[in-house]
Amino acid sequence: MFLALRDLVFARGRFLLMAVVIVMMALMMVLLTGLSSGLVDRNISGIRALPITHLAFEYDDKPTWSNSMVERAMWEGWADRPGVMTSTQLGNTMFNARTSKDEPVTLALWGMEPGSFIDPGADAGQAIGGDPYGVVVSRMLVAENDVEIGDTIVLDRVLTELKVVGLLDAHNNIAHTPIVYAPFRLWAEASYGPPGGPPEGESLPDILYDFATVVALQLEETTDIAAVDEELFTVALDKPMSFVASTGYKAERDSVRINQGFLLVIATLIIGAFFSIWTIQRTQEIGLIKALGASTGYLVRDALGQVSLLLAVAVTCGVGIGYGLGDLIVERTDIPYVIDIRAMLISGALVIGGGLVGAVLAVRRIARIDPIIALGQLR
Amino acid sequence: MTLAVDSVSLVLGDGDQQVTALNKVSLTVEAGVLCAVMGPSGAGKSSLLAVCGGLLPPTSGRIAIEGNDLTALGERDRARLRRERIGFIFQQSNLVAALTAMDQLLLMAHINGRKPDGAHRERAEQLLEEVGLAHRASHRPDQMSGGERQRVGIARALMTEPSLLLVDEPTSMLDHSRGGEVVELLARQTREHAVATLMVTHDQAMLSWADQVAEIEDGFLGPPSTPHLKGGPPDET
Ligand SMILES: Nc1ncnc2c1ncn2[C@@H]1O[C@H](COP(=O)(O)OP(=O)(O)OP(=O)(O)O)[C@@H](O)[C@H]1O
Ligand SMILES: [Mg+2]
Repeated sequence: MFLALRDLVFARGRFLLMAVVIVMMALMMVLLTGLSSGLVDRNISGIRALPITHLAFEYDDKPTWSNSMVERAMWEGWADRPGVMTSTQLGNTMFNARTSKDEPVTLALWGMEPGSFIDPGADAGQAIGGDPYGVVVSRMLVAENDVEIGDTIVLDRVLTELKVVGLLDAHNNIAHTPIVYAPFRLWAEASYGPPGGPPEGESLPDILYDFATVVALQLEETTDIAAVDEELFTVALDKPMSFVASTGYKAERDSVRINQGFLLVIATLIIGAFFSIWTIQRTQEIGLIKALGASTGYLVRDALGQVSLLLAVAVTCGVGIGYGLGDLIVERTDIPYVIDIRAMLISGALVIGGGLVGAVLAVRRIARIDPIIALGQLR
Repeated sequence: MTLAVDSVSLVLGDGDQQVTALNKVSLTVEAGVLCAVMGPSGAGKSSLLAVCGGLLPPTSGRIAIEGNDLTALGERDRARLRRERIGFIFQQSNLVAALTAMDQLLLMAHINGRKPDGAHRERAEQLLEEVGLAHRASHRPDQMSGGERQRVGIARALMTEPSLLLVDEPTSMLDHSRGGEVVELLARQTREHAVATLMVTHDQAMLSWADQVAEIEDGFLGPPSTPHLKGGPPDET
């Protein structure tokens, strides 16, 4: 890197410009990753927060949260299969509703057995189960609609009155909709019962409580999932796959990946173009050094060392700035953003990788330069 | 014999464009001898240097450097021979823009796969001193005059203790007196370092420092003559 380092200093203006471009690209990659993780997180954070390994949906080629409906036989069937550590039913229904302040909101009502392993409890107030109409609301309703403990949320059409007894600090959402945690019976009545609840002094038929949306599972690795699925007519998906079953998740994730892919291709091309032009500019000098006896390998190593150094420094700066900016975004704004060190490092590594590919393409030129040009016009 | 060229021919171009740049050229240069090859433009001077330095394979004939048959070597081995045994000095001095005079010399160590150590540094300092540029060691080419650059080129060529110096019109970019100084330096270094030096030029005035002169015209090389007795230029100024 004898030559490379001196070239870096000598042509510092040009290299600085290139470094700034690489810094910006690394920064964009990192910010894009943070924003996309944030966005994706706002979609499925409620699912992510579930302490599960798998979710069993009603059998379907493409099971989704919105279409799945499981019966009591299915969740009870799953419960006593070998390898099932624990399981419980979970109901999911989207509702439009009005808050105490008469604000319209959309929420995902989740019904679960109070105290079951998926019950999140409450960070403030009480968990579900005490009051049959008591619910726990997640952060977005608190942050955006000023919902407080003691408020009543009225579900449209069915007119069920939910009493807010507890709050969660976390943004627990599904399909970008804040989750409201309710006792299973309340959920079933709101989802399948008559508007206004059961008539005075009567109770609803038991069959109302025999349906839910999915079965939440903690499975051992050895569980024969396929066999149980076949028998019970369910599809058990592992946790990451169950994200895909949430509306919009796949499209969001893919569009972000396409953006990142393009950014990488652009990084590769820009760095490739820069070093191609740089190599062409150096043609005379490279010819000279070859005439002095340098091997192509020496010159290529030197050039690649230069690229690597430039990339390493610039990408480190970009990722560092991205980290700082991400921190500010999280601290100071409510923009969905997730600081994921691993994803940031991967973004950085990808830019370095793309840059090296571009540089290798450019640096191949060195092999084709004929040392005879050192002697002038000849040839 | 350091350099032995034995009936070397070189045909350049293809089809109707073919030119016989060298026609059965034979030549020998011994250690400590400055051999000048004179000729007009297009005579084949650069071609001769190119084949002697292994930059172009001759169409026929043999070239031996310290007994090694250059024409039998592949490209990699010719590059190795160049960096280990041959010093090149080019027309426009051809220094690397980003390097100081000192670094131009140290680059030769790197090319040879060595990290410059104290000994390399000492040798570089001594060579710069010999060419009268000790005070310019940390200057880059754009901070030096043409003559100074050419002298750095000479020091660089001697850095690896080569046995053969190949010199392409070292004075064409310099005025007469500067050119004279450079060739005089070249003649002195040739003797002091006991290298065989093959210099091509079209400048008659530069011949007075040569030990041996041959003329080249249309690819034909004439017999060598000795312009003066060995031991120094006749008209020292
Ligand atoms: N690639 C080529 N194809 C065909 N002919 C060539 C080629 N390169 C050089 N020549 C011819 O070969 C001859 C010898 O060229 P060379 O460059 O060796 O001359 P020279 O003595 O160094 O000239 P100058 O003093 O102008 O540098 C010239 O007639 C030149 O036109
Ligand atoms: Mg020439």
